[in-house]
Amino acid sequence: MKNQNSNFSTGGLDALQARFALRVTARLSEGARELPHDISERLRVARDQALQRARLAKRLEVAASVQASGAGAATLVASAGPGSSWWLKLASAVPVVVLVFGFVLIQHSHVNAQISAAAEIDAALLADDLPPAAYSDPGFVEFLKAPRE
Amino acid sequence: MASEKELSDFLKSVEKRAFKRAMYAVRDDEAALDIVQDAMIRLAEKYGDRPPAELPLVFQRILSNATMDWFRRQKVRNALLKNFSDFESAGNDGDFDILETLEALDGSTASESASDSVSRAQILLAIEAEVERLPARQREAFLLRYWEELDVAETAASMGCSEGSVKTHCSRAVHALAKALKAKGIQP
Repeated sequence: MKNQNSNFSTGGLDALQARFALRVTARLSEGARELPHDISERLRVARDQALQRARLAKRLEVAASVQASGAGAATLVASAGPGSSWWLKLASAVPVVVLVFGFVLIQHSHVNAQISAAAEIDAALLADDLPPAAYSDPGFVEFLKAPRE
Repeated sequence: MASEKELSDFLKSVEKRAFKRAMYAVRDDEAALDIVQDAMIRLAEKYGDRPPAELPLVFQRILSNATMDWFRRQKVRNALLKNFSDFESAGNDGDFDILETLEALDGSTASESASDSVSRAQILLAIEAEVERLPARQREAFLLRYWEELDVAETAASMGCSEGSVKTHCSRAVHALAKALKAKGIQP
């Protein structure tokens, strides 16, 4: 028998092996097709979960690429030619100028408001009846003695 | 780039065989389901954008790694550990004996008519039991090569070994199966 076997070529041996192996795996495939229902269902659920993860991964990838392209655009703007850098510097200074101008405006209106409030108080005091106690105030006496313009 | 339908169809086409493969390795339904689910999620998340033609090879690799991870976790937990040492013994491939294989094949072909009275289910159970008994590397090579129908180079890439090792593992697996099934009077 050994002599007979030794006449097999390597190709023939491989073919015999493959034929036997395929008969075995055909049986295994039969078994795999007849899995219990609960196992098949759990495999289906696992597949659905995997697909859901794939969808999520894809969405994240798209979001990341959008972010990257945004950053790329910013980089492109930043790396524009030397002529445009002056304009960029100027443009970046505009908000600071606006802010300073705003502060000055607020300060100015605040001072005006204080002045008008003080003027109103003075006018009200002058227009009001003079209390008798005012004549005992040395400051008021000095005011009365002071030469009028 | 695989579309969602292509990915879904691919997973549907391999999930049952993947479960069986994991089952032969870990011999536990729950663990096998976890391994397959883990492998499917890894494929979908990280390799879902690969062309459809690349998916089978990538998936087999992921499934093998997921199975290895399971064994590693088991080792860490000091729990039941079966055949793990076989995963680590990839280097003993040098003594392939072609005559030995020839004898085995001759035996298997001679016994082809010996199992007429055995039912299909019983044959399947016996074959599955013998596949489970194969050393892990032999089983992996045999199933990838002949069940998943990867060629020798793809099987080698998936297992992370040489093509020669794949051929040796496959020959030994065929030899062992033929011998065991013959002893039981089973013709696949």
